[in-house]
Amino acid sequence: MSLAALSNDQRDALQELTNIAMGQAGASLATLLDEFVDLSVPRIRVVELVDLPPVLAELVGKTNLVSAVRQSFQGYLRGEAIIIFGEPGCQALADLMGFEGELGESGENELLLDVANVLSGACLGGMMEQIRNFTETKGPAELSFSMPSVMARQVMAEQLIDPQKVQWSHALLLEVNFTIKNRDFIAHLTMLMPEEGIEKIRGILDEFLAAF
Amino acid sequence: MSLPILVVDDSAMARKMLIKSLPPEWDVEISQAENGVQAIEAYRAGKAAVMFLDLTMPVLDGYGVLETLRKEDLNSMVIVVSADIQPVAQERVLSMGAIAFVKKPVSSELISTVLKQYGVI
Repeated sequence: MSLAALSNDQRDALQELTNIAMGQAGASLATLLDEFVDLSVPRIRVVELVDLPPVLAELVGKTNLVSAVRQSFQGYLRGEAIIIFGEPGCQALADLMGFEGELGESGENELLLDVANVLSGACLGGMMEQIRNFTETKGPAELSFSMPSVMARQVMAEQLIDPQKVQWSHALLLEVNFTIKNRDFIAHLTMLMPEEGIEKIRGILDEFLAAF
Repeated sequence: MSLPILVVDDSAMARKMLIKSLPPEWDVEISQAENGVQAIEAYRAGKAAVMFLDLTMPVLDGYGVLETLRKEDLNSMVIVVSADIQPVAQERVLSMGAIAFVKKPVSSELISTVLKQYGVI
């Protein structure tokens, strides 16, 4: 069955919540990289999992190679966060971290894991914090995260996620733009969740909208 | 006479949150802008004795607004309201002429403290 897209108001509210959460991520990344980080969330959308591969390909570019980190979460919401980096982004990160020449695969993986961890932790953790602050939601809004792992290196975006092999039905897609030292790069946060997770988020957003 | 104030943010919800955090007894006439260009138009139209300014916005961001205001004599008290909590961001906007930096999410306590501190209320 298909799920209604987020309304404009719901998307605006989610975008603002995510932007606030990302303020924390920006500060953490700035510490990690020792550089000022400009960070924004320009686009958010919900897609059904079957539609995800072509949507991802369109977002990151059909012929571009990507690397990705996955991390599962459970508690108030359950699902899996997948953080996708384009190749230029990986290289830019390595440069900024001050790695000379070849970083080597293990070094690059470690870097991706660090940055992905900061992004997913800040995004989901920040959202939970605001849910606790603003709404009278039943039960504590807590999440626990598994260890992140690198799921793919330099694959085509369309091949990253096989909907047949994933247990979740829906994806919440957040595009995160960074600018560091005049270099722009983009990461995509993809939150895979069951339908009730998306509905739960929609309920929270409606509560927010009603409160203001 | 009501004080003209301007709330600048690309998010409708963020503007609502901010307006709701203003002291209820404060006699103001509120205008809103969704980006920096609209903000500058409203400022030039005399609608911004006090401006609450977001940093990350399309078309023209908050830094761009501060830069433009500085060239135009900055006849407005600008309070930057942002989720960016890096100290560098705060230093930068203060050096560009903003009087204060308020971290998102805003609360009526935070806003009142700043307004009192600068004798606005």
